[in-house]
Amino acid sequence: MSERSEVPSLATDGLTKAFGGVVALDGATVEFRHGQVNALIGPNGSGKTTFFNCVTGMIRPDGGQVTYQGRDITGAAPHRIVRAGLGRTFQLCRVFPRMTALDNVLAAVRPVGLTGLLRGAHVRADLDRARGWLTRLGIEHLADVEARNMSWGQQKLLELAGVLMSDPETVLLDEPAGGVNPALLDRIGTLVRELNAEGRTFVIVEHNMDLVMSVSDHIVVFDRGRPIAEGPPSLIRSDERVLGAYLGV
Amino acid sequence: MPSASEPTTAPATTSPATAPPTGAGTTRRRTADRVVQVVAVVLLAAAVLAFPSLAPNPYILSAGVVVLNYAVLSTSWSFVGGFTGYISLGHGALAGLGGYGTALLVTKAGLPSFVALAVAALLVAALAVPIGFAALRVRGASFVIVSIALVLILLLVFQSWASLTGGSRGLVVPRPFPDLLRPEHHRVFYYLFAGLLALALLAWWMIDRSRFGLGLKAIREDEDKAEALGTPTFAYKLVVFVVSAAFTALGGGLYALWFGDLDPVFQFSILTGSYLVLMALLGGVRNLFGPLVGALVVGIGLEYFKVEFGDTQLHLVATGLLLALVVLFMPDGVLPAIGSLLGRMRPAQNSIREVTAAELRDQRVAAAGAPAAREPVDAVASTAGERAQSTEERA
Repeated sequence: MSERSEVPSLATDGLTKAFGGVVALDGATVEFRHGQVNALIGPNGSGKTTFFNCVTGMIRPDGGQVTYQGRDITGAAPHRIVRAGLGRTFQLCRVFPRMTALDNVLAAVRPVGLTGLLRGAHVRADLDRARGWLTRLGIEHLADVEARNMSWGQQKLLELAGVLMSDPETVLLDEPAGGVNPALLDRIGTLVRELNAEGRTFVIVEHNMDLVMSVSDHIVVFDRGRPIAEGPPSLIRSDERVLGAYLGV
Repeated sequence: MPSASEPTTAPATTSPATAPPTGAGTTRRRTADRVVQVVAVVLLAAAVLAFPSLAPNPYILSAGVVVLNYAVLSTSWSFVGGFTGYISLGHGALAGLGGYGTALLVTKAGLPSFVALAVAALLVAALAVPIGFAALRVRGASFVIVSIALVLILLLVFQSWASLTGGSRGLVVPRPFPDLLRPEHHRVFYYLFAGLLALALLAWWMIDRSRFGLGLKAIREDEDKAEALGTPTFAYKLVVFVVSAAFTALGGGLYALWFGDLDPVFQFSILTGSYLVLMALLGGVRNLFGPLVGALVVGIGLEYFKVEFGDTQLHLVATGLLLALVVLFMPDGVLPAIGSLLGRMRPAQNSIREVTAAELRDQRVAAAGAPAAREPVDAVASTAGERAQSTEERA
């Protein structure tokens, strides 16, 4: 972790989005560095998830710009953004309920060309890679179980396995700790650290301050649709504006 | 389990110790399933092929042609409705376009019948691109409405444009085999429809097992999630819609050549699309042979009800009743219901889950005292314990 590159991985410039009269993003200018575990925190309704949705192309921002590794990706289709190397999970974890865990992961395979599309979905190489991720996340024994029959925690791990199967350079996690037991929480934290050590950049939206403080290198605090503070955990912990936003002091 | 420090971009292949529990039992059960499936398919194919020789009279044979036509159309429908879950009530219109296209290419352009059929199918496929481009932008109920609109618009066009289509007077299609007697004519077309059905089933099967098919099924499950995993959902939907339209048009065109007379009221009827949906749902949309089985049941039922109740609308009531019963008792369709029935009759599976080497090891590790794994949880927690321990070791 000594020599983090100073290249911005994901950056936004003046990102704006309003839903009717509600301003969710109010000129958010943020920069996440390559190779770091970044956290995005802030009170409910401060625009964190909207930020994710704008960045990943799920919704189109009203104004502003999103760049990823120097490329303008504002308003690009979500699948193009994934293919550029930016993967995400969802706040209320989303898996394909009537598919097996294995197929859930295989759905992230990126076929190339017509022959790639028509190749069997269960070819050896893909299967090995998919099983590898299931193993890594500790749910390989559920490979043939339909996702809807899995527990919440298992589904969260499965969703992450799928995202990792698409081999993203940067992973956006939307509340990975939501509804998760302490043991699993620990596990997710360790996993993030490991994957980061292997060269993946993270941006994590999270309310669980223990997780945020323990895994992140850099924290950005949102309030009312824009960043109000940023810095390493030690600094954020004592920042008065942050305390104000969170506690209303 | 790959150790934490292992620098994997792609994770390591599963080692034998952690191989997933595809135990001998599972494999044997799968082989048995496969055998049952193959036998069922062979029997079905034999029954379909033998039918013309067994049919007691030309009427029954012609009913067989109608049923096979339905089977072709509902299988074609299932490329969209089955894979992506987009319920189209407008496929009757695509069949109608195929029929009129074939008929007009024969009568106005003087093409040989089967060349006209192929050209018409290509034209409908080309037309399906803009239609799909517009219709596939909306989901759920909105898509159903748009697909109905397609039928109604085309009905008006083909009724009003009488100089080309013959309007409500109908359009007579010259027979491709003028020398054949009526029973022979039915027999030939019966086999033509069977061949087309085989082709559609083959295409469906190829897509079903492919990566493309997995992407389509992901769209059915959760379209936004599929997109967020990198699937170009709109392109996938459009391609499969065009494939579906082409097969539907082939079915409609072949029907035109067989029946020899087209009327917009029947060609562009919402009822056709509804029957296709009913058949596919009844048989099971997630199954290769679902729409075919549904077509056999509904098609035979429709013919029977028409004979029983004559010109009344009672056959519609009976069909509606059939749909209600299926939705109530077999929501996934007949084939999955039969499958689970067979599953229940199988020699008892282990009620106690087999424990794999990996799980045993996890349990041992957990018992060895990672405090995190105290909770009475599933393997997730116990592997978390293992992870915690391996981290300690590294530190």
